[in-house]
Amino acid sequence: MNIDWILVLEKFILIAVVVFASLGIAMYETWGERKIAAILQDRRGPNRAGPFGLFQPLADGLKLFMKEEIIPNSSNKFLFVLGPSLAMMAAMMTSAVIPWGGTITVFDRQVSLQIADVNIGVLYIFAVVSLGVYGIMIGGWASNNKFSLMAALRAASQAISYELAMGLSLIALLFMSGSLSMRQIVENQMAGDWGGFLGWNFLYQPLGFLIFLVAAFAECNRTPFDLPEAENELNFGYHQEYSSMKLGFYLFAEYINMFISSVIMATLFFGGYDMPFFNEAAHADWGNWLALIGTVALMAKVLFFIFLFMWVRWTIPRFRYDQLMDLGWKKLVPLALANMLITGAVVLWLESK
Amino acid sequence: MSLVEIIFWFLSGLALISAIMVLLSKNPVHSVLWLIAVFFAISGHYILLNAQFLAIVNLIVYAGAIMVLFLFVIMLMNQNAETEPRSKSTWIKLAGAIAGGCLLIVVVAAVRDSENLIQNIGGKAYAKTAVTTHGEIGLIENLGRVLFTQYVVPFEISSVLFLSAMVGAVVIGKKD
Amino acid sequence: MLNALLLMKQELAVVAIIFILLILKLGKDRSNVTFLNIVNTLLLLNVVAGFFWNSEGVLFNEMFRTNPLMILEKNILSLGTLIISMQSYSWLKTHKHVPEFYILLLSTLLGMFFMISGGNLLMFYLGLELSTIPLAAVANFDLTKRQSSEAAMKLIISSAFSSGLLLFGMSMLYGTTGTLIFSQLPAALNGSDLQIFAFVLLMAGFAFKISVVPFHLWTADVYEGAPVAVTSYLSVISKGAVLFVFVSVLYTVFKPLAGAWYNMLFLLSLLTIIIGNLFALRQDNFKRFLAFSSIAQVGFILIGISGSSQLGSTSVIYFVLIYIFSNLAAFGVVILVSAITGKESISDYKGFYKTNPVLAWILTIALFSLAGVPPTAGFFGKFFLLMAGAAKANWMLITIAALNMVISFYYYLRVVKAIFMDKNEQPIERVAMPLMPRLALYVCIIGIIATGLVSYVYDYIHSLTAPF
Repeated sequence: MNIDWILVLEKFILIAVVVFASLGIAMYETWGERKIAAILQDRRGPNRAGPFGLFQPLADGLKLFMKEEIIPNSSNKFLFVLGPSLAMMAAMMTSAVIPWGGTITVFDRQVSLQIADVNIGVLYIFAVVSLGVYGIMIGGWASNNKFSLMAALRAASQAISYELAMGLSLIALLFMSGSLSMRQIVENQMAGDWGGFLGWNFLYQPLGFLIFLVAAFAECNRTPFDLPEAENELNFGYHQEYSSMKLGFYLFAEYINMFISSVIMATLFFGGYDMPFFNEAAHADWGNWLALIGTVALMAKVLFFIFLFMWVRWTIPRFRYDQLMDLGWKKLVPLALANMLITGAVVLWLESK
Repeated sequence: MSLVEIIFWFLSGLALISAIMVLLSKNPVHSVLWLIAVFFAISGHYILLNAQFLAIVNLIVYAGAIMVLFLFVIMLMNQNAETEPRSKSTWIKLAGAIAGGCLLIVVVAAVRDSENLIQNIGGKAYAKTAVTTHGEIGLIENLGRVLFTQYVVPFEISSVLFLSAMVGAVVIGKKD
Repeated sequence: MLNALLLMKQELAVVAIIFILLILKLGKDRSNVTFLNIVNTLLLLNVVAGFFWNSEGVLFNEMFRTNPLMILEKNILSLGTLIISMQSYSWLKTHKHVPEFYILLLSTLLGMFFMISGGNLLMFYLGLELSTIPLAAVANFDLTKRQSSEAAMKLIISSAFSSGLLLFGMSMLYGTTGTLIFSQLPAALNGSDLQIFAFVLLMAGFAFKISVVPFHLWTADVYEGAPVAVTSYLSVISKGAVLFVFVSVLYTVFKPLAGAWYNMLFLLSLLTIIIGNLFALRQDNFKRFLAFSSIAQVGFILIGISGSSQLGSTSVIYFVLIYIFSNLAAFGVVILVSAITGKESISDYKGFYKTNPVLAWILTIALFSLAGVPPTAGFFGKFFLLMAGAAKANWMLITIAALNMVISFYYYLRVVKAIFMDKNEQPIERVAMPLMPRLALYVCIIGIIATGLVSYVYDYIHSLTAPF
């Protein structure tokens, strides 16, 4: 039994880097959230803990650690701890199939900046998003609190309704790209004109992108779909009974979900690690710098999407539950189906020419 | 043993233990979680056979959607030990144990016979009737092609099945 | 192309009816009576059209086969559906979800058609599922009664379990033979232990649908809880379709395993007849009573099947036709009485003759036919079944079956006695028969009397089963 230890080490390092980067970005998303909220609300935001309040997330983290761990007496203790763990695990697992950049050469070894390039990448993301529902449901149930349970069930039904719209909107995208592998989708987009810009999928699938965006908002439980965790609805929702680090896990899991959704949107619709107006193929001799440029481009797009998430939060009021369900089933699903039909028809027509 | 064999035995053990725990758990939510573990183990088996699409769709549909609905029902029903019916009489438990034992004997006898299904070609074992080690069919492109050309009639009939199931569910669930 | 469409004509007819129903439902509001008239006319056209433009062939790479025998079987099922639909007129007149009832019922009929014509284990399985799941939804159609929901729940859970067993058997069969196609299976069967195990599981799946003991435990509760029209559909059409497929599959696909299944059928038929009769003796609820009596009838059919010859398949198909007429006549009376008065137990039927002479006579003839009294067709049906079963010269089986016929006489004639001879303080009041149920009942009675005496029917079926 021979195991390629270098491969294992390489993947291990990649995973560690991705996990720590996700956690770091999630931490600073909290800072970004408060700063952007402040800008939109014409005030200053955190500016005490370090210059521009940059150490605020550290202070928040320390506060959460120091708080008392309360586990309610009559709840199911094992499930109570399992809930936030599942939420965090599902949030992290999605990052396994995302291509973070091109390939770099380290010690004469080609290392592709993607943990697992399976040829069912998009489906894997669906599977993990479906599993993310469990963290919320089990957390709500284990709290032994009727309000938390109702909030958790609402959150779960919202999540599964919008999963459907998300999947349907991606099918039209798959018609065009012909493969489920994320790296293949990015490389198809990079092959467009204008240094890759004209290959970006959102130009060819605007409706699909819009549906996916709305569904991503709903999956991350972000406003305007944040009914499950609203403070004045159902007593703060499914994480009412949680305190200290378990609450921290839930909140972090939400931010990591936001980050990952932004990365997925950037990868599928905006060209991933493609730098627009810059011909990668012509500069292949730059080696590792090329991959770095790609990753920087990806991060810039991700930051834009995160900003979009936070911008929308403070712009649109919250949906009521029945409006939310109505939007998901009666409007998004027929739109996604129509999009699929039209895309299929156009692709077949173009192929037959 | 090769790595594949080790993973196979591990996944099989995990599937069996999780399945037994589904039956033995006192808490219904625990049973659902063990069942999800069973589905993960089965998806692992599918991946070992290089049926990638089947593995992922198994997770999406079974572990991701159907089990969520099971959890909904269990959480809203709120069963606890006081509302459960009295446990069955000893005779029925004895009869169940004997029946289960007979079934085990029959299955073992039947499966022992499966050695006739293996043929040795060039030192490696191949199945006589089904293609097992050339795993191209599980890849999504080949699967899609076969599904929409050879098996399109069952596919369309299953869509009628879904439609009628939805009609039935809505009629039962409508509140007017 | 036209040829292919003609081959699938019965399925296409049912699909067309479902479409028309959908369009009618989504169109302007119609009263229930108009809707029912339209649907019954369409079903009548469906039955009539089944007798013309028949052809034979194989489609879609052997997924769909048809020959005159299958067309006859499908026509029998369509006729049964038409009779049930006409009989449930009074119940459906005041129901809120009439279009959905018909859409679901016709979906099950479509599933049965695909199951009968399937040339592939996968098509068979899908047809079986399509014929079961909408039925579970329809079993819940008495939306205000709890018993109805309980019946639907029991039906769906038990059928899901039996489908699981069936699939296990099918997958092992595929693993050991390497093919799913019916025409290629007999050559690949070599009688190994694993294949017999797979076959036993397959039989378990079949036996569940036709309520063979010991797979019958769902029957009584589901028949009692579901609305009477759905019970009649379950007991007659659903059983009949699976019996047709059972006969065809046993005789063609599993011929190499004939020794194995003969012993199984022997044991199952004995158990079924004895237990069905024993339980039917004690029932008071009419629907439960008819449920157990139908279990006993299936036992007789199994004796006929075990004969394993052309006579066997002819007698089974002949008996299913007779069984449809007799059972639907009995159920028709029960549907009418239950829709108008809501009374369902046998003790309520005491003195029925005084207030409803016509209905009492219809019920009596139906019960005579179920029992097997000449000259009703039931006698001829059972006669041919026992003749077919005697082909293997297993005299013990035939003797026990004949003795059980005598026992069944007791409980059928007990009902007849209650109708004609018992006195009742509060008999069921005179039930008005609208046109459609009356027509349906007359068709059943004519069927009962004519199918036995007119030998053309039997000869025609016999000529079609020649390949077996």
